[in-house]
Amino acid sequence: VMEGRCAVETWAQFGFSGGSYKVKILCGFGTDVLISDASSSPAELKISQDCLVVGADEVSSLLLVGSVLLTLCQRDASWLLTLYKTPKQTASTSHEEFGSFHLPLVSAVDCGAAESNRGPRKTSVLICIHSGYVEASSPSNASAESTVAQDHFHLEPLLFKLLFGVEAALAKSPVILCGLPDGRLCFLPLRLPGSRLRVLHSLEQPVCFVGASVVTETGHARCLVAAGERGRVVLIKTDNAGSEGGSAVAAFTEGCVPGPVWCGCMDKSCFYYSTGSDLLRLDLSEGSSARENKERGEETSGTTAAALQSPSSLNVCRVIALAEPACSTAGDVQLLAVSARGKLQKICLPVGRDNEGLSKLPSTQVGRSVRDLLSAIGDVCERASVLKTVIKSKNQFLRLLNHAVSISFLLMADTNTDLPIKEKPIRCYAETSWSRLLQKDSLNLVCFLHNSSPFVLERGWTLSITVSPLSCSSSPAGESSSTNSSFPFHDLCPGETFEASLPIAAAGDASFPMTVSCSLIFSLSSLLGEEEVAASFAGLQSSCVSLPLSTLTVDWLHALQLNSPIATHKMATVQPCSAAADSIQTFLSSRQLRCSGRTDRGGESVPKPEPEKYSASVRVSSELVRDTLKPQKSSNLDTKESMRNPEDLYKIALSTSVVHARGPNGAAVKLTAKEINVGEEESTDKEATIEVQIESSSLPVVCGLHHAVLCRIQVQNTLIYHKLISENVLFYLFLLPWTNPPARLLVTSLLFLLYD
Amino acid sequence: MYQPPSLLEKWIQENNELVNKCKQQEAGGGVVSRDHSQSSLRWCSSEFHKLLRKIQGIPPHVDHTQLELAVVCNTCVCFTAQSQFSEAELLLKEATERVLQMTGNNADTSDPLVLWRAVLKSAGNTALHPHVLYLLCLQWTLWLAKCQLENIGELQEMTSLCETVCDGVGDGSPSEAKRRLAKSPLLVMDPKRLTELLQICTSIAQGAEKLNEGRSSEALSDLQAASTMPATRALVAYTHLLSGSCLAHMNRPQMALQCYKKALETDSRCVCALYRSMLIYRQLGNTQAEIQALRLLHSTLMLPPASEPVLGGIHPISPSLLLSSQSLSRLFSVPSALSVLYSLALKCVLSGRVTEGVEHYLDLLAALHSEDQHAVKVDAEVSVLPRMLELYLEAGTALLITRRPADCMALCNEVISTTLELVPEKVVLEEPEERIGGDARGLSVEGEDKVAMLLWAAAAYLLQGHCHAHLKDWKQAVTHYTRCINLVVKVRLKNRDFQPQIPAADVNVKHGKDLCALQRMKGLSLAWRGISFTQMDQLREALRDLQLSLQAFPDYTGAGLWCGEVLWRLGRKHEAAACWEKTWSLTTQTSVEKLPLYLQDPQSGPLLDSVELRLRIQELGLT
Repeated sequence: VMEGRCAVETWAQFGFSGGSYKVKILCGFGTDVLISDASSSPAELKISQDCLVVGADEVSSLLLVGSVLLTLCQRDASWLLTLYKTPKQTASTSHEEFGSFHLPLVSAVDCGAAESNRGPRKTSVLICIHSGYVEASSPSNASAESTVAQDHFHLEPLLFKLLFGVEAALAKSPVILCGLPDGRLCFLPLRLPGSRLRVLHSLEQPVCFVGASVVTETGHARCLVAAGERGRVVLIKTDNAGSEGGSAVAAFTEGCVPGPVWCGCMDKSCFYYSTGSDLLRLDLSEGSSARENKERGEETSGTTAAALQSPSSLNVCRVIALAEPACSTAGDVQLLAVSARGKLQKICLPVGRDNEGLSKLPSTQVGRSVRDLLSAIGDVCERASVLKTVIKSKNQFLRLLNHAVSISFLLMADTNTDLPIKEKPIRCYAETSWSRLLQKDSLNLVCFLHNSSPFVLERGWTLSITVSPLSCSSSPAGESSSTNSSFPFHDLCPGETFEASLPIAAAGDASFPMTVSCSLIFSLSSLLGEEEVAASFAGLQSSCVSLPLSTLTVDWLHALQLNSPIATHKMATVQPCSAAADSIQTFLSSRQLRCSGRTDRGGESVPKPEPEKYSASVRVSSELVRDTLKPQKSSNLDTKESMRNPEDLYKIALSTSVVHARGPNGAAVKLTAKEINVGEEESTDKEATIEVQIESSSLPVVCGLHHAVLCRIQVQNTLIYHKLISENVLFYLFLLPWTNPPARLLVTSLLFLLYD
Repeated sequence: MYQPPSLLEKWIQENNELVNKCKQQEAGGGVVSRDHSQSSLRWCSSEFHKLLRKIQGIPPHVDHTQLELAVVCNTCVCFTAQSQFSEAELLLKEATERVLQMTGNNADTSDPLVLWRAVLKSAGNTALHPHVLYLLCLQWTLWLAKCQLENIGELQEMTSLCETVCDGVGDGSPSEAKRRLAKSPLLVMDPKRLTELLQICTSIAQGAEKLNEGRSSEALSDLQAASTMPATRALVAYTHLLSGSCLAHMNRPQMALQCYKKALETDSRCVCALYRSMLIYRQLGNTQAEIQALRLLHSTLMLPPASEPVLGGIHPISPSLLLSSQSLSRLFSVPSALSVLYSLALKCVLSGRVTEGVEHYLDLLAALHSEDQHAVKVDAEVSVLPRMLELYLEAGTALLITRRPADCMALCNEVISTTLELVPEKVVLEEPEERIGGDARGLSVEGEDKVAMLLWAAAAYLLQGHCHAHLKDWKQAVTHYTRCINLVVKVRLKNRDFQPQIPAADVNVKHGKDLCALQRMKGLSLAWRGISFTQMDQLREALRDLQLSLQAFPDYTGAGLWCGEVLWRLGRKHEAAACWEKTWSLTTQTSVEKLPLYLQDPQSGPLLDSVELRLRIQELGLT
């Protein structure tokens, strides 16, 4: 029902930093009550020590009743309501404690989880209830009451007696009502000998507002209202036609109102509360008026519950605190509110149903109403824009999630079908290169992530590369750890390639071959931001989806540094340090050589003349090699690049050239490929074979390279000659220094492993 | 080379500075608040503890031991004063172990008594002995504070040793003390004073314990011995008080009164003695003295709590810390000022000093309504004070007796306006046995006893009826009695073995207070409506009511006499005579004393003279 608009007028602006402080508006002045609070808002107002009246920690709420100051705080295992006497003379500010009441804590089961996210925000409500009429209170009390009337309510005597007992009513004792974060509503008759804190009701969610409403002509409220943080509201009224005895009983009507309740206030007939996104009004008088009209006992609770169902919106958002509404004589209601942005606002509510004809308004009032309308429009605009941004961000988020799911599906499908790498929609391949940084050579791996799928890889995706040595035997336990690097990237559009480069080994560090596993990782938190994930998907905070892309191997051949004449020249000229290092290496290896006491033929063509000590060779049927490589001959060979494919090897082989290179540990290597004929002596079965010979002074290098070459040939075989090959055409010939038993053992075991 | 002595001196100096600071704060203890002194005590104990840890950081050494034990004692005193008994106990245990370690003995026992014997033996006659004894005194303090009297009994022979030697520790000739001031470690609490305090407190605690166990004569001799010990007035007064309790227990009220008097003479603030004497007077039936005692007690309780006289400084260990056992607190407990005032008012009214009683009732009501009255913790005394509505009704009755019907009616109006809304249409009174204790009181406010509510409202109407009868406004009186009757008949009795028509006197006692009150109220209201009708010359109605009244409550003589009167006036003179004779033959009211004040027969209103009635019977017999 659109009853009218409310005008919002901003009065003042406070600089809030957007935290969730407990803001309380106190109308009126003259209270000398201050309290030291551990969690106060940022101090803009310095309060001197002289003003300190009570030094109490973690006071969650306080209330002044006459000359008594009450504080509520939580001690170890109980709630503690402490009474202080305010001094009669103003000379001393210190308040004297003269009583305290305990109420044991109960373990709040369901509100604990919700609370923990929001930190230690424990609010409680403390109000004072008087019986009967406003005039009935003693005159000495009246002056104090006028200043702090905010939390004082006058309840209908019958309801008061029903709830708090005749003794309290007879003694005219005010009753303190406190709402606790565990949902309990407790009361304490203040001036009754031997009274204690007792529980009136439990809302089962943190109580955030308690008040009294439905004020009759005589000035006392007929309905006590308590609202919980998550929208549960209890209305406590007198039910005259209640039990079988025919006497009045207190009726507790529970209901739920939409939205979280941030704060609330009451006027004579309505309960106003803010959900953050809106300010709502709940008309409580309907229930009671309906009863008076219809005199039907059964429907009273029904109508009250119905009133709870239909709060009317006032279209004011982000209100975090409300003050007692002020009713003007004309009947319109003004609310004082503080918004989350720190604005102090005056909200004028529409008068109600009895709107007189607007045409009769004088011009000044017209101007005012136009201003009101404009400010209302402004407020609605602000609210609309807030909602719009929320919707937009949610849509965006949904779109991103949809993409992520599609991509995941694509990748999952890939792993099932055995597509060749090059045909996969999202694939990853890599290159190796040597680089020199800070006078240290290191082998770099450049990974290329190519997106040929129709989707854009957006925020939230990360390329993760895990490099681990294939054989863990080379290093002792614990050290065989793999390195893991992740590269978050933004928006990889279809057809684009993302390049990630990482060092995988330093010179001299020879733990080849290595396995490089590439995978794509999708995480919610990097898509949404930590807080939002924590807020909406608690429990998914650290979870992410990992989708494997491909597994690559970096072997010894990749790690070779080719010595083209130019390259060596360059090295020699530009980097003398390296040459020096090499010469040291040479020296060391020569010493080693001398120790082992074996001389070998010197390699004439090797740039740095070193005696090759070990050598291995592989013979492959040239026919086979040729057949294998025919369709893919277009590839080019770059001397600066390490060999990536067997075709390079083949090229080397075909040209019968000799490749001089250096292994990752700096040892010189000579790779020779030549065509020879095998078995021409004994049989007619003459076969042209290619022999690849690997010679180096370093045993690890020879072994590693041998292994790499074998692997590659084998890979070729299994890939293409699946159906053709019936007989193994590979021959192995080892030209090893057999006098060295450990080396022999190593190589044989290596071979055994390879053909396992 | 100079390291050890200089370190020792530094520590001694530190200890002495702390002790002096402590003593200064105690001296000013009367001025600053309790909170403040507590915090300073906390500070002292932590400082002492720090120092102690420094000293105990090195292995036990003969040169240091004296200092170490002194610091242990000081820390212990501070801990005990803050009721941190377990910490103090731990310190003592460590200290004894270190002493044993140093003297080369080893006691592998956890039994503290055995340990202490071993320590005393090992300390022997060395310079350490007095310090070890002082430690033992602190152990004694702890046991006393924790009410472990049996341990103290075991140590009795050691304590006798203690008092002789303890004199020598801190207490020497002044010159000697001055000489040692720089060199020797000071103590927070003078050992001599501590032993004195301990001895008398132990006597008191043991006396209370024995009294509790019924060994009064044994306790009496102990307490008499203790009363001559040097101690503060309050403690000596306690010994007299306990002696009095023993004597009262031994059925010697006069001697008990003497003891209480002595206690009061010793310490005028010993409220408990006043209270106990009041109880004795009550027991003796000396109402005037009881009222006097109650009045004194009330005025003493209303005095502002004066600050303790600062004589020679307050010690950190107070007697209240040592006298905390349950039997003692039961003996020393005194009801609150309000309940004393109530007892006073009721006693006055019951003993015929009604005007005085009325004043006290009004004072009580004013106190309950005053702004200063706040829900202060009252533990057992709540039950002494009746419910507020009953107070109103009693006060109203008292006012009526003193011929202030208007005031009485005002009070009754208050009661009626409070309760009437809550009175149910129908109420069933069943299982009266379970209703007796009034245990519904503490349960829930919502389910507040409906029957009680009804009875209060009815009683208020009854009183109002009496007021109108007093004013001879018979019509109004009839109206109010009728209202009372209408309320009373709402109660339906439901009990398996109870016949409401013919209740016997013993049944009334057996069944609950509510039931008794109900029957009584029914009888009273019917009878007085009958009397009112009589005054209005509506004799038939009067006869009906009076007969109903006699049915409901046969014991009520007023109804019987008036029933006869009405019969007489109706001309049924023989029936009247029979009725009178029957009424006179009834034993006089049995349980009136137990009834609430407001349910007793009103003294105002028209009366029948029994002598005149007998004359009439005689005349009837003659004719």
